[in-house]
Amino acid sequence: MRYNILFGGEAGQGPNVLTNVLGEALVKLGYFVYYSRDYQSLIRGGHNFNVLTFSDKEVYSNDSEMDIIISIDEATAKIHEDELKKDGILLDGDHQNMYFAGALFKVLGLPFEVLEEELRILKHRFDENIKEARDGYEAVKVCFDIVKSKKNKGIFVDGNEGISEGAIKSGIDMYYAYPMTPATSVLTKLAQKEKDNEYFTMELENEISVINATIGSAMTGKIAMCGTSGGGFDLMTESLSLAGVAGIPVIIFLSQRPGPGTGVATYTAQGDLNIARHAGHGEFNRVVLAPGDPVQAYKLTNQAIYFSQKFGIPSIVVSDKHLGESFYTIPSWPDLKEIKKSRKLKRYNSYEKDGDGSATENSRIIEENVLRRKEVGLEIEKESFNFSKYEIFGNKKSKNVVISWGSTKGAIVDAIDGLDVKFIQVKYIEPFPVELANEFGENLILVENNATGQLAGLIAEKTGIIIEEENRILRFDGRPFLRDELKKEIEERMK
Amino acid sequence: MELKDITTKTNPTWCPGCPNFMILAGVKNAIIKFKKKREDFALVTGIGCHAKLFDYLNLNGINSLHGRVLPTCLGIKKAKPELTVFGFSGDGDAYAEGMEHLIHAARFDFDYNYFVHNNQVFALTVGQPTPVSELGYTDKTTPNGVSVYPINPLKIMLASGASFVARVYADPKQVEWIMGEAMKHKGFSFVEILQPCLVFHPQTSAYKEKCYSLEKEGHDKTSFREAWNKADEFDYNVAEKIPTGVFYQVERV
Repeated sequence: MRYNILFGGEAGQGPNVLTNVLGEALVKLGYFVYYSRDYQSLIRGGHNFNVLTFSDKEVYSNDSEMDIIISIDEATAKIHEDELKKDGILLDGDHQNMYFAGALFKVLGLPFEVLEEELRILKHRFDENIKEARDGYEAVKVCFDIVKSKKNKGIFVDGNEGISEGAIKSGIDMYYAYPMTPATSVLTKLAQKEKDNEYFTMELENEISVINATIGSAMTGKIAMCGTSGGGFDLMTESLSLAGVAGIPVIIFLSQRPGPGTGVATYTAQGDLNIARHAGHGEFNRVVLAPGDPVQAYKLTNQAIYFSQKFGIPSIVVSDKHLGESFYTIPSWPDLKEIKKSRKLKRYNSYEKDGDGSATENSRIIEENVLRRKEVGLEIEKESFNFSKYEIFGNKKSKNVVISWGSTKGAIVDAIDGLDVKFIQVKYIEPFPVELANEFGENLILVENNATGQLAGLIAEKTGIIIEEENRILRFDGRPFLRDELKKEIEERMK
Repeated sequence: MELKDITTKTNPTWCPGCPNFMILAGVKNAIIKFKKKREDFALVTGIGCHAKLFDYLNLNGINSLHGRVLPTCLGIKKAKPELTVFGFSGDGDAYAEGMEHLIHAARFDFDYNYFVHNNQVFALTVGQPTPVSELGYTDKTTPNGVSVYPINPLKIMLASGASFVARVYADPKQVEWIMGEAMKHKGFSFVEILQPCLVFHPQTSAYKEKCYSLEKEGHDKTSFREAWNKADEFDYNVAEKIPTGVFYQVERV
């Protein structure tokens, strides 16, 4: 059982509220729910839509064909009519959005009380909402006989919730940012919870200020983090290099969207793996971690903080719009590694420095400093073996091996269900788990949300193994992979 | 705390006779007189001749990047509000590479102190003009001479809402005094120190004779309009009379 529902309307008509209400209700009923958001860079009007997929089994992606389309505006029905299954249902007409919530509940044969409870939690416009929802509920007939849920107990969160919760539970002291989609909601979430926690958030004049304020706070021994997307990260890179030479533990949350340039501001991509690895002049240590779901976002944020504090290095958590702003059903937040703060205010320097912390040009001291940084690099690599650097899904003995990183995890896990495929998801980009070459079967297939196969480049660099062009499944239109389409792509390449 | 507690073993490499030595002396004396522990201070410098101060002044902090002194000060102050935080920059640092931070530091008005060594030239990179170099200034990069007017940083600070705006000459007594005033001020303190570069901008040594004290003249530092008029007296282009002292001070914190 797997249903796909599309909610479409103009920005400002509330497709998000509607999707959230249904999603939360379905999760409380014990279903697994996933939804992604497709929205334009505008505030009112335009065409925004969310696709919600739910099942009695775990679900992490959407499909290309819809069981139900909810058209809050007139345009949605027209734009998406080709995506509706032959026996699919279209709910449209000139109604307020909670009318559609009621109608949807009825169509799915779900109890009205559950919706009522969600609207009570929503609070805003309760009296109007409940009336509209009842009108919708009474206006339509039950159309689907959906499988009873198994009373799974989950919570419904997006990837950026994983980042912000992971940061809070790891004891962050400061978070600085400049607004940039799709990283902004981490600042929003942290700012909303600031008064109940002992940390400080601040929006500064630009990303250069953001990273340097983070460095200033981190120097004093505090856990300091900042967040941005590709363009803002570019601005930060000189200071990233400063953190590298000075040994200052900053944590950067890098949420990707399509570049180059301003690219496509509110869509998704995995084009920044290489800049996360290489940004900053000179040679210095860093850790780069890439979560593929909210739980991993939570744990890898914690691990990024752990590595930063333990080794006095910058750490980068690379996510993207698709993971950050899609909602997933997760069991609960897991336990985290305890963080020990390691720094205190002393004499730091952007120059190579001597024993007193003053700038030096002495060749012997320069060489010693570089060798010490190289040694720390080896210690970081050694320490990384205490963590799960990659995950394996599917048939562990299969010769068909799909490899990927980040948010593509969801669509791949769903797509390989029932196939003779092993899936390796790389979580540690730096230090890279070279040992995973032992896991490669004879037929290695790449999946990435970019045009050049940056993970394939990294694998080639570290292991010498080349993934053939015809075995690279790449999507670079700003959209995430869909389960059914990806399944076909993988099947075509299976041996 | 004695002089030796805040002095490193590093030999200064400023040019002989550089007014930066006078600034350093004033800074050290002010810190000692403030009767705090060495650990109560944090020092941030940028890149340029001024930044060598970090190597000679044994305080915790960072010799940071070019132009990024102020956000670093903000990060330190917000993390450890109990610290007295000093930022030092040159005019390239403050008025070219880092101008956006300067305007916003004035807007934020957090309690740290900023000292700009202004020699109206990029000295450590051997003599290129900065945004405050006068019309006609020439060097190898600008053989036909600077053809645009210098900016007036004091007016920018006043317009940006700075709560403490001051200027002194690179004289140990003046520097010591203004540091004390800046440290006492609750909020962002902006202090420009006129520091003639003897190698690339020797004609500005004449500034010393043209400076006069606002305090002695009975200037009303609580009046924005008077502060603005006084800031207008020296346009960084032609020096006739150069007011020094506190132009403007108002406490908002």
